[in-house]
Amino acid sequence: MTLSEAELERYSRQLVLPEWSGGAQERLRDASAIVVGAGALGSPAATYLVAAGVGRVGVVDSDAVELSNLHRQPLHFTPDIGGGKAESAAAKLSLLNTEATVEPYPVRLEEMNAAAIVAGADVVVDCSDSFSTRYLVNDACCGERVPLVEAGVLAFSGLVMSIRPGESACYRCAFPTPPPEGSVPSCREAGVLGAMAGIVGSIQALEALKLLTGVGEPLLDRILQLEGASMDQLIVTTRRRDNCPACAQVPATAAVGA
Amino acid sequence: MSVDVSDTTLDLRGVICPLNWVKARLALEPLEPGDALRLRLDPGEALENVPRSARDEGHRADVAGDLVTIVKG
Repeated sequence: MTLSEAELERYSRQLVLPEWSGGAQERLRDASAIVVGAGALGSPAATYLVAAGVGRVGVVDSDAVELSNLHRQPLHFTPDIGGGKAESAAAKLSLLNTEATVEPYPVRLEEMNAAAIVAGADVVVDCSDSFSTRYLVNDACCGERVPLVEAGVLAFSGLVMSIRPGESACYRCAFPTPPPEGSVPSCREAGVLGAMAGIVGSIQALEALKLLTGVGEPLLDRILQLEGASMDQLIVTTRRRDNCPACAQVPATAAVGA
Repeated sequence: MSVDVSDTTLDLRGVICPLNWVKARLALEPLEPGDALRLRLDPGEALENVPRSARDEGHRADVAGDLVTIVKG
């Protein structure tokens, strides 16, 4: 189905990009994305995916909005405090793009439901805030062969990598073991600036759009590290591990044609 | 073999920038290199910008009055 007049106007500023195309836009419309976490990373990530025209976006979060969230989670507003984050996010996102279907998943992603949540998605954007959830999302995406954008942010530092299971290094290939419990402070202890999380979440959205459309070169086998305080950027290359318990046995996913 | 699709001239008069170029690009997408697409454009901004955008992306653009012929590059 071709793009409607309203879609042409809504997406005109990206449709004029030489790298973009009507085909890319239609691929987005036919695509389904899952954003795990509707917080500091999930707010910008989900916003830009929905705004860009991803047809179906599921937002997974079981938490309620708290006053201390608002400085870094711009999808939630002061009157939303006490309500569910998944529902709060979905309500804003549905208003942002009426062409998109936004589904709240007010559940915690756990071992027993991870595979079911990511199965069938064309991309998963991991905006969770714990190492245990990150490994769960990674392993589920490897098992279901769903491309994934991983990221983390703490204080002024951020990290992003994209993953095509079976083709490029997965999160577990790059970081085989979680850091010892308590060795990395949580954002509650170390703090985080909303603007820094906004940069990292926006990069995640850009990576997901690249994975979905075939436009550009995603951060496959590459880890982007950002230092917001100095604006230093570093790309570290990584590669698959033959013995990776998550992805070593996974056959390659079908690449998206440009 | 090149195809002349001049009988399907795209009338983009009254369509503002950059939506006119968006519509022209989408019409060019399914064409093969060497195929021609004809557009009718408003004088002024549209006639200045659309041929330039086409050339910037490697197509040929010939302007005759308000009629622009783009040959896909």
